[in-house]
Amino acid sequence: MGIFVLANIWVIYAASWDFLAGYVGQVSFGHAAFLGIGGYATAGLVRYFGQPWWVSVFAGAFMAVVLGLTVGVPCLRLKGPYLALGTLAFSLILNELFQSPALQPWLGASGGVSGVPPLSPDPVVEYLVVLAFMVASLVVMISITNSRVGTVFRSIRDDEISAEASGINTTKYKLVAFMISAFFAGVAGSLFALHFRGVSPPVFGTLYSFEAIVMAALGGIATIFGAIGGAYLFTFLDTFLGDLTIGSFSLAGLSVFIFAVILVLVFRFASGGFMKPFVERLKEFIDILRGK
Amino acid sequence: MKQTLGTIFEAKNLTKRFGGLTAVNDVSFEIERGTMVGLIGPNGAGKTTLFNLISGFDSPSAGHIKFDGADITGLKTFQVVERGLARTFQLVRPFRYLTLLENVTVPSLSPRGRAASERAGIDEYASTILSSVGLVDKARIPPVVLPHGDLRRLEIARALATNPQMLLLDEPFSGLAHEESANIGKLIKNLNEEGVTIFVTGHVMRELMTLVPRVLAMHQGKLVADGTPKEVANNKVVLEAYLGRGEGYA
Repeated sequence: MGIFVLANIWVIYAASWDFLAGYVGQVSFGHAAFLGIGGYATAGLVRYFGQPWWVSVFAGAFMAVVLGLTVGVPCLRLKGPYLALGTLAFSLILNELFQSPALQPWLGASGGVSGVPPLSPDPVVEYLVVLAFMVASLVVMISITNSRVGTVFRSIRDDEISAEASGINTTKYKLVAFMISAFFAGVAGSLFALHFRGVSPPVFGTLYSFEAIVMAALGGIATIFGAIGGAYLFTFLDTFLGDLTIGSFSLAGLSVFIFAVILVLVFRFASGGFMKPFVERLKEFIDILRGK
Repeated sequence: MKQTLGTIFEAKNLTKRFGGLTAVNDVSFEIERGTMVGLIGPNGAGKTTLFNLISGFDSPSAGHIKFDGADITGLKTFQVVERGLARTFQLVRPFRYLTLLENVTVPSLSPRGRAASERAGIDEYASTILSSVGLVDKARIPPVVLPHGDLRRLEIARALATNPQMLLLDEPFSGLAHEESANIGKLIKNLNEEGVTIFVTGHVMRELMTLVPRVLAMHQGKLVADGTPKEVANNKVVLEAYLGRGEGYA
């Protein structure tokens, strides 16, 4: 059950990255910043302030939005690779801050926050709650991309200068997109902290930032739906490869290598992500149902 | 249905320096509301830089720009569009993965576009704009499959959807065959007759000279002539600028 919970959390996280990169063209290399801040806010609120988990999840997401605004205002002046590096820098700063022994009384240093009570003692309830969050998050993100605002987002992705010449305040739209993406990454981080009963500084690390990209790319960029396939594949491979042993010899160290091989294969043979054909079938099917 | 006359646009001592190069050098001129003015000059004369200054893509090193009674110097592009001054690009820049209708929907969602589309609704408004440039039957396809002439029309449609008072058209004829050029010329003329002030560039003079009653000429960043097409075509500096590069004129 735990692995399904984790996979669903990663779906939200991967989709939040895909929303920003695939639909607005703003590539973040530091998405773990939002994951981490959501996780820390939730863990802290539940553990030290006795808040119910659902209040904490929304508070965590809200904190991520505030961080999104803080990161977005300076970083969105940057374009392409510079934006990616700017977001990466932000996440690394947070990583350092939360590790800092000097800030131990407030941020917990390398120990982070532990002993967070679970969302529910019943794993089935936990599974259903996280599943509900996942479905709701995807529905909201997909609705946004299909709305008028979504059309403007996609126009910025295609050609920011043209969007500006079309009278669009692209900075404002990009900032809004950044905040939406941060919100859902924050939700994922909050659920992550509840699931693992705590968080520690590595949650801000590059590993988690790149996980978002890997999962979104596996499933197919600019699909949102693709995050489901990408996150499930990633989570199962990660767990399976982590546990893999031959006799007493653990193959866990091989997992990174095998991931790399799978990624290269996906990009070589299905550059739109391996979920693309399924998503397109699904769209055709929905069109048929609507009688188009 | 021409609007009442009066100056809609004024550039005053506009200068743009890039390092040691002065791309636009102390350029001053006015444009009357509802008129059509051409801007010619060989490649590199500073036409596109001048357009970039006017449309807010770049800010001038010196000088001022007045539009519709207000100083718009240093405004951002979207703010300039909000005042009613829209532009097209010499190299077409469609939204590649959006349908033509969506391409025109985006400017319809700008403040002026919203105001103009309030009654009809945005989809209807965008369709009307597409049909005014003759692209409405291609509304559902993405621009990547379109011929160059259609992309030029799309470029104009997108600017039109912001409901501009004045249009800056950067080389709308470049890369077009003669017949398509003539069609675009007709389209521009129609827009002007509906009251849109037109400021249009070209580096080959032929199309422009038959289209506009007044032409400005630039050479090496300076404004070197201002008059009827005939006057400008016979201007000594203009002749030298073009003949020096071995290009045709008039």
